[in-house]
Amino acid sequence: MTPPAPTTRSGRTGLWSRLWSHGAGRTGLLIAGAVLLVLLVGPFLTTDPDIPNYTGKLLPPSGEHWLGTDLAGRDLLARTLSGGRTSLGAALLVCAITTTLGLLVGTISALVGGIVDTVLCRIVDILLGLPSLVLTLAVVGALGPGFGNLVLAMSVSGWAGLARLARSVALSAVSRPDVTAARMAGAGPVRVTVGHVLPAVTAQVLVAATMDIGSVVLALGGLSFLGLGAQPPTAEWGNMLSDSRLTLTTAPWQVLGPGLGLIACISAAVLISDALRDITDPAAAR
Amino acid sequence: MIARLRQTLITLVGGSFLVWALLLMVPGDPAGRVLLARGITEPDPAAVGAVRQELGLDEPFLQRYLSWLWHALGGDFGVSWTTGRAVGDEFALRLPATARLMAAAVVLAALLAAALALLAVSGHGRWPDRLSRSLSLLMLVVPGFLLAVVLLDIVVLRLGFGRVISDGTWGTVFLPALTLALATAAGWSRVLRSSLLQARAEPYLQVATARGGSPVRRLFVHELPAALPPFLTLVGLGTAGLLGGAPIVESVFTWPGIGRYVVTAIDARDAPVIAGYTLLAVFIYVVVSTGVDLLVRRLDPRLTTGPRTAKAGAR
Repeated sequence: MTPPAPTTRSGRTGLWSRLWSHGAGRTGLLIAGAVLLVLLVGPFLTTDPDIPNYTGKLLPPSGEHWLGTDLAGRDLLARTLSGGRTSLGAALLVCAITTTLGLLVGTISALVGGIVDTVLCRIVDILLGLPSLVLTLAVVGALGPGFGNLVLAMSVSGWAGLARLARSVALSAVSRPDVTAARMAGAGPVRVTVGHVLPAVTAQVLVAATMDIGSVVLALGGLSFLGLGAQPPTAEWGNMLSDSRLTLTTAPWQVLGPGLGLIACISAAVLISDALRDITDPAAAR
Repeated sequence: MIARLRQTLITLVGGSFLVWALLLMVPGDPAGRVLLARGITEPDPAAVGAVRQELGLDEPFLQRYLSWLWHALGGDFGVSWTTGRAVGDEFALRLPATARLMAAAVVLAALLAAALALLAVSGHGRWPDRLSRSLSLLMLVVPGFLLAVVLLDIVVLRLGFGRVISDGTWGTVFLPALTLALATAAGWSRVLRSSLLQARAEPYLQVATARGGSPVRRLFVHELPAALPPFLTLVGLGTAGLLGGAPIVESVFTWPGIGRYVVTAIDARDAPVIAGYTLLAVFIYVVVSTGVDLLVRRLDPRLTTGPRTAKAGAR
């Protein structure tokens, strides 16, 4: 969803403009921008999403309630907006955690080497060999249902791929001419790592993490739908859809908000990550 | 090949140990939970001691893990904390329904992916291609649980096809399997399309065309076999998505399978069930992906010579 902002700082100037000039990438960016704008501004213009109003249950969409109301008479537009903040915020949090963990583990593994590298690589291999959604379910099962636990579980099962990528980028960065030159000029290991290796690794890992956001939104929604994530009365797109199930035949409009929100977010993520793949493909870049 | 099998073994051992460690994090005294499940609400210390002995809770940590793994390999996953019955029996009761759903989903996904990819390749760069790509994008961005809710409402409740409560037989498998298959098929069709296009650009295809090979012959003799290995790899990896998606789809369609069972178990913090399910899913996934990997290497000898030596050199 959020485009990889720091990549422009770390020498990959032009990623933004290349993304913008890529047809699918531009569509994705526009959808993502629209969703972010609506979610940032919208909640200030609507009523409280959690206060029930039992005299106005299951009202169809109208001028007063644009998306209608749910079984507890809560305004669905307000709930969709606050639910979107919960869903997207959690997805971004998961990606921030997995990016940080992946960067740390991958870089340490590559630069320290030896037994540390072997052990970390083994752990990453094992995690990548397990089906990730099943692993997430197992961690939620161990910690208990809840949104915080779900975010933790998603982070635990999501960082390994990024760590493997960070390790390989760091390994190739170490032998780059400018890194050798810096070392010959007397730069210490910390300076070499922070100044020369990390920027390259961060850029690549951020791009990879951006590609993951769509599947993170999807998995978070799915597990919340099962009641393993956000607990009532907190609105979240997955649990809103789950709540609407019993009364859907009489009030089908309940699907609109969370459904379209999820589709918009995932489309933006898929379009942007396709464009990023086209742009950053080494064969096409060289 | 030996290295690949060693990796499989390490993943299985590491994964099962991870699952076992997670199991220990679930709060509550296992002996107390088991007694509670058997209907004893205020057990005396002697009874608790007996159950602790029975479950082997006083053994050293590593020994408990090994005996759990040993029993699990024989289909004994311990005793459910909510019903007090053997988890293995509960699984055996629900496994056929889940297997049916999985099989139907894999077949549907493969057929859909092949159809979409062939449509795209048949009119590369023209409207069939664009139609196929738009369809696969649409299938990719609609979440399975959203589709399931809408399908259940429109097709089953409004139009009256199918049944609200699935009984887990072949008659009711179509809708859940379709829901499970759509997103997977979309991903597969994209890869199949690009590898078919790649195969078409190879010099030997130009030779085949020059020699007068018909489009059908070129497709079946040259293009499809060349595109098969990456597709098979994807199918192997796709089982992860299907295994993970099963709990959601089974819950919406009330499919009487293992996935729905484990969701209720997570709500009830029923540790042996959760651990058993995870171990089973991990085992199936690892075995399938290893099998596919070995098959693909058999089909495409280039994989065992080129990149593997390069990788061995990097270590």
